[in-house]
Amino acid sequence: MIDRPDATVLLEAMAATLTDTVMPELSGGAQHQARIVANLCRIVARDLADDATDTTAALTALLGAEGSLDDLAAVLDHRLAAGELLDEALPLLLADAARRAEIAKPGYTDDTN
Amino acid sequence: MTRTEQIAIGLGDLIGAEVRITGMASVGAQRATFFIDILDGTSTTPAVAQVSASVLGSVPASAEAAMLRLAEQVGVPVPDVIAASDDLPGVGAPALVVSRIEGRTVPRQILRGLTDDAAGESLARQCGEALARLHTIGEAQAPASLPRLSHTAYVDDLEAKLDALDDVRPAVRAGLAWLRANPIPEAPITLVHADFRNGNMIVDDNGLAAVLDWELAQVTDPMQDLAWMCLRTWRFGNDANPVGGFGSVAALRSGYEAAGGSWRADAIHWWSVARCAWWAIGLAGQAAAFTSGLTDAIMLAASGRRVPELEYDLLRLIADGPAD
Repeated sequence: MIDRPDATVLLEAMAATLTDTVMPELSGGAQHQARIVANLCRIVARDLADDATDTTAALTALLGAEGSLDDLAAVLDHRLAAGELLDEALPLLLADAARRAEIAKPGYTDDTN
Repeated sequence: MTRTEQIAIGLGDLIGAEVRITGMASVGAQRATFFIDILDGTSTTPAVAQVSASVLGSVPASAEAAMLRLAEQVGVPVPDVIAASDDLPGVGAPALVVSRIEGRTVPRQILRGLTDDAAGESLARQCGEALARLHTIGEAQAPASLPRLSHTAYVDDLEAKLDALDDVRPAVRAGLAWLRANPIPEAPITLVHADFRNGNMIVDDNGLAAVLDWELAQVTDPMQDLAWMCLRTWRFGNDANPVGGFGSVAALRSGYEAAGGSWRADAIHWWSVARCAWWAIGLAGQAAAFTSGLTDAIMLAASGRRVPELEYDLLRLIADGPAD
C-alpha cells in the first residue's frame, strides 16, 4: 500500500513551497538555507526514482562476485587501492558518476570539461 | 562577554588601537572574516581581520603574513599586512589583520561585473601573470613552516585523507590509482597558493585587485595553481570560459608565460585530476562531519551531494586526457 501523495510528489511540493512562498519572505543566511533545503528536496525526489541497478549489474560482471551495491563498491575500492582493475573499472565508474551527478544536478553531464 | 567582543578587544591589544567590528565578511569552517575599523586618535582605518576557529589545524598567522609580504615583493596584488598573531590575546586563535581593498569577491558578482568578453580575458591574463610572479618564489625563500610536497607525497596525503573518511568512494580511489600509474616528471618546487580561484580574489573595474585566502599555501609543483584555477567547479555554470567562468585557458597561459612562467600541459592535467580528488575528499569530509553529528549545518550535509560532480569531472579528465 502507498499513501498519496507519494514521497516524490510530496518532496517536489515541499521544494516548490520553499522556493515560491518561503524564500521570498526571507533574506540573508536564512534565505540561503531555504534554497539549500529546497534543492535537497529535489535531489531526494530524483534519488528515490533511481535504484542503481545498472551500477550493481556492472560491478557484479566486473568483479565476478555477488553482493549489495555497498559490498561490491568496497571490493572494487580494495582492488583499485591494490593497483588492480583501473582500466577495466573506469567506464563503469564514469557511467555511475554521471548517473549520480544527474541526480545531484540535472544537466551536469551535458557539458564537457 | 561574547566571542566577538573578545576578538575586538584582542585585536585592539594586538594593534595598539581601538578596534570596532563593523561586519562579517564570511564565516567558514576554518575561520571567520570580519570587517573592522581601527580607531587611532582622529583617524579611522578600515581593515579586514581573519580569525581562525582554534590554534589547532591552522596555518600560523605569522607564516601567512610572511607569505603575503613575499608575494607583494614579487608583484602579486595582495592586501597589506597590518598585524598578525599566532595566539590572539584573550581569544587563543591565530589572527591576521590586513588592509581593506574595495572590489567584488562573490564569484557570481565577479562574473556579472565583467562588462564584456575582453574584460574576462584580461582578468584571466592578470591571474596568469600573478601566478607566474608568485612561482618565482622558490623553495629556499618560501616560509619554512609550509609543507614541501613532491607529486608522490601529494598522492600519499590524498590517500591518507581518503582512508580517514568513513565512506567508500571508488571513483576517487580510481583517481589516486591513475595519478600513481601516470606519473609526471618532478619539477622545481615553488611557493604555491593552492586555493587561487574565482571566490578567493578581489576584482575591481581594472581587474585583479588582490589574491586572498593563503591558508592552503604549500611548496610544490607550480602547475597545481593553474590546474585549480581552471577546474569546472569554479566556473559557476559558465563552462564556455574554463578559467573561473570568465576567461580562456589561452588568456591565462599568455599572462603566465608573459610574466616568465613555464607552462606544462601534462602536469596541469595531472594536477587537475589530483585537485578534483582533493575537493571530492574535502566535500565528502564536510558531509562526514554532518553524518557523524559533529555539526548540524545543512550546508555541510549538502556538500555530500556535490561529491558526484567532482567524481564525474575527475573521471572525464582521465577519459579525455590533456587539453593540448
